[in-house]
Amino acid sequence: MTDQTSLPPTAMSINRRSTATKLIQTRPDPSMTHVLDLDHVSVSIKGRLILDDVSFWIPKGEFVCLCGPNGAGKSTMLKAIMGIIPATKGTIKLGGEPLTTANLIKIGYVPQRKGFDRDFPARAVDLIVAALRGKWPVRIREDERERARVTLAKIGGERLIDKPLAGLSGGETQRVFLARALINDPSLVILDEPTAGVDARGRGELLELMTSISRSDELAAILVTHNLGAVAQTAERIVYLEHGRVLCWGLPNELLGQASLTAIAFQAQDHHKHAPDEE
Amino acid sequence: MHFLLDPFHYTFMQHALIAGVAVSAICAVLGVFVVQRGLAFLADGLSHAAFGGIAIGLYLGASVENAVWIAIPFTAAIAIAIGVVLRRTQLRGDVATGVFFSFSFAVGVLFLGLRTAHDRQISVDALLFGNVLLISSQVMWVVLVVSVVALIVTVALWSRLAYAIFDPELARLSGVPVAILEYLLLTTTAVVVVVAVKTVGVVLVSSFVVIPAASARMIGATLAQTTVIALLIGTLGAVVGLFVSYYLVTSSAATIILVHSACFLTSLIVARLRR
Repeated sequence: MTDQTSLPPTAMSINRRSTATKLIQTRPDPSMTHVLDLDHVSVSIKGRLILDDVSFWIPKGEFVCLCGPNGAGKSTMLKAIMGIIPATKGTIKLGGEPLTTANLIKIGYVPQRKGFDRDFPARAVDLIVAALRGKWPVRIREDERERARVTLAKIGGERLIDKPLAGLSGGETQRVFLARALINDPSLVILDEPTAGVDARGRGELLELMTSISRSDELAAILVTHNLGAVAQTAERIVYLEHGRVLCWGLPNELLGQASLTAIAFQAQDHHKHAPDEE
Repeated sequence: MHFLLDPFHYTFMQHALIAGVAVSAICAVLGVFVVQRGLAFLADGLSHAAFGGIAIGLYLGASVENAVWIAIPFTAAIAIAIGVVLRRTQLRGDVATGVFFSFSFAVGVLFLGLRTAHDRQISVDALLFGNVLLISSQVMWVVLVVSVVALIVTVALWSRLAYAIFDPELARLSGVPVAILEYLLLTTTAVVVVVAVKTVGVVLVSSFVVIPAASARMIGATLAQTTVIALLIGTLGAVVGLFVSYYLVTSSAATIILVHSACFLTSLIVARLRR
């Protein structure tokens, strides 16, 4: 892992865009099955261009890290991928098909801020089965419970199945939300800052777990994070966004090995420490 | 046995029982969602909107009983306005409700003040505090029909409403029409509150929404359990409260609320003992 203090002083004042173009950016093998395709996607909200001509794609089983500073357009990109906001230009395809309500079920999502009321009377199994049914369960059938149990067991959280959500630790909550994201056998999982509010040990375990699931199930995953140290160890590819454009799209070692990008990335990380709110 | 059945030989007690149980049941079920959504103050705001609507109806020459038909759209409009403010601004639910609460009550006071000495006399006390024992057969039927329809709608949408209340973002991703459901919850609560005002009065109606739901929330392990417990507390409170008020010759609505409050205290103790 590159340490910020070891960076040359000039690296902090580089011309970002011109330097980035000089980077080696290894793209995925185009012959691999595309799980997600963004083709010249632009998104404007209230007349303001948030994403500007973004193109990249994710092959089956690849673990991609999406990073960039506040206001880069990461959240907007996630919302566009999940069909919450439409693309103004360009196309987004999931498994080669345009986004529809029917194929959106193939995206599993672990949100950044767990927006639920901690006092909501619910158990882990209720939340997981809600994702399965698309509505909150009144009574859980045996087959649904078994499916929730198997999914939780896959991520080492079987004992959490009947636990009230209110009593879960940060790491346990993440496991339950991860199980929720995996219950519909998705082809793509989106993890929006999954390690926020989780201690160092839990963070490591969670990323390791996600990497292993991604590899064993050939599951494509997008991880949005500012913890670039963790990314270097886990992600197979990095997509770096800035001002709504893809600045870099390549392998972690070739991107983070470049002092220039490391500087940009750590500036972003430092910026987030002071302004944790997402755009 | 006679002791238990005697009060209900009277027509006014039968009307009170039917209307009281209907209002208590639907208020308790809606209350589970309203309280969970952090809008415990909502019923208070809407009951004052109902007061404003009834006052407009009276000013336009309607009788107290018919003014409800003006109050229903007025209160529903206020509920939608609260929903718009909640969704479009950063204001919290209590602030948004508080603004419309004051506005509606001011409208009510203004329109009551505009009535002349020649207009039909009305009892503001009856409007504010209600009297379930004095409701006519027509009002009882309105209360019953509105409560049953609202209960059917709420039960039919329970699973989607619950998901939307738990986490709107996740529910939206699962295809739940969160915004529509939220407006539907607000307008259903508005209509129920207007007819409840006819039976228990402006001041006391929010207790019927909040207390059974808050009591159930402390002891229910799941939202489904919480809903059933709230329904039981609401309806049992209405029956026991009416019965007690008959023998003690006390205000029926107030006695029902005191029974609900006793249930709240019991839930508090049960929840404490469980820890």
